[in-house]
Amino acid sequence: MRKHPLATVLSWLYALILAAPLYYLAVSALKTNIEIFTRPFALPAAWLWDNFRTAWETARLGQALLNSVLISLVAIVLTLALAVPAAYALARTDNRAARVITGTFSAGFLIPPFAALIPTVVLAIEMGLFGTREFQMLFLPASALPLSVLLLTQFMRTVPAALVESAALDGAGHWRLLTRVFVPIAMPGVVSVTILQLLTFWNEYLFALTITGTAPDVRTVQVALPALVSDATNLGVLAAGTVLTVLPVYVAYSLMNRRMQEALTAGAVKG
Amino acid sequence: MTRSTRVLWLTVPSLAWFAVFSIGPLAAMFVIATLRWKGLLYEPTYIGLENVTKVFADPTFHAAVRNSLIQVAVAIPVMIPLAFMLGYHLNTKPRGYRILSVLYFSPGLISISMTGMIFYGVLSPNGGVNGLLRGLGLDSLATAWLADPATALPSLIAIDLWRGVGWTAVLFAARLASMPGEVIEAAQIDGAGRFRTMWQVAYPMVKDYVRTLTMLQFLWTLFTSAALILLLTQGGPGTSSTTLSYLVYAKAFSMRDLGYSQVVGVVLLLLGIGGMALIRALLRERTR
Repeated sequence: MRKHPLATVLSWLYALILAAPLYYLAVSALKTNIEIFTRPFALPAAWLWDNFRTAWETARLGQALLNSVLISLVAIVLTLALAVPAAYALARTDNRAARVITGTFSAGFLIPPFAALIPTVVLAIEMGLFGTREFQMLFLPASALPLSVLLLTQFMRTVPAALVESAALDGAGHWRLLTRVFVPIAMPGVVSVTILQLLTFWNEYLFALTITGTAPDVRTVQVALPALVSDATNLGVLAAGTVLTVLPVYVAYSLMNRRMQEALTAGAVKG
Repeated sequence: MTRSTRVLWLTVPSLAWFAVFSIGPLAAMFVIATLRWKGLLYEPTYIGLENVTKVFADPTFHAAVRNSLIQVAVAIPVMIPLAFMLGYHLNTKPRGYRILSVLYFSPGLISISMTGMIFYGVLSPNGGVNGLLRGLGLDSLATAWLADPATALPSLIAIDLWRGVGWTAVLFAARLASMPGEVIEAAQIDGAGRFRTMWQVAYPMVKDYVRTLTMLQFLWTLFTSAALILLLTQGGPGTSSTTLSYLVYAKAFSMRDLGYSQVVGVVLLLLGIGGMALIRALLRERTR
């Protein structure tokens, strides 16, 4: 393969631009404000692990992490419970009604949830769920449905017709077909959807901020962290808190980076 | 036949869910746009198109339109070609491509609020960027990036690019990897230059995907800038970094005018649809 010096230089230059803020974040997390200001890119003179404890306690990150985990888990279970049967039905049907439903979800996928933020707040108030974690648990699956249904349908379409017929001859009903044939074959799709949507739920910010709110006992970790910003922000503590919040995602990524990369690219491939 | 139609009942729960939490609020937007509503705790009254007149006469709205147009007009044409070229490069598996792809991928893992917090430190007056400039002896270029009207919006666009380019490049690389490699190899054996192979062989193969990603990035940039702006500049100084997306948020929550907010929301939606149609047309014509 020929060498392409320009492409190589540019690709590493951009990698450097990506890495620099992350490096800056990591070293800042162990410094005082003064050291951050005076020696921004140097390694810390004294490693100030205390920043992590201060961040954890000031932003009450423990409770926030718990809230995030709880919301994400309930939301993903609900998403799958709604999307899997729908995808099964769409994979097995090819008529106008099915195409209209698929079309609805395709259009829904394009519209960013932000578009309807304010009416959604009104809905939360009407339902008496404003300021609760429960609303997020119910709402997030709705925003995840279009992509989840479309992806799962694609995977379920790969089930061989012969297999379905022979199972049906054996007297298998929809429930058995779904759980014994379709879900096992579409398992890579289920895993992809789970990873992709868990990440989306974990990272969701504006709805969590405006609906669940900033009360320490219900707020998610994404909302808790910016609470460390004030007129006299301790940047070291803020950086430490950011590291703590981003870390779970990176740990998950390092444990299953191929799977995760597949899931996230699959999510954007479906247009 | 009846059997296969009846199974569609299984889609009803998800359709109902989607209708209540997504389509309902989207439709409600058009209703709220016709109301005088001073904050969520008050009673709204119907005022018809009065909000529309008010919004279109407001200089803040004009500034927001301008800023949003600048944002997408700079971010998208820079992001997509750059990401495509980087994605193509990644797909040739250059030395160290694993490190590259992990780095390129990582902004996709970091939430918008964490991105905001990272750049809050990086762009603060005593932060990383200014530290770097001082280190290079370029003190005169150092500024309060987010508090200077000349640099607030460009900083936000730079963050869009920081997170968008690498992530999109990884997506392009994944797509190119799923294409038959022989075509590209054949072109290279024929002596076609790298640049020509990339644009005249590889690009047409993934043209539809380029269009899809362009539309998605356009929509994301247009709609979701509110969060980052809320965290970093609150639309200021003045209105220098107020985008339509942020205006929707700010009018509803800090300026307590829900009717105004939702008129802007409708404008944003129409712009989104119009922009998509434009991208579709542009990226179809060029290669046919």
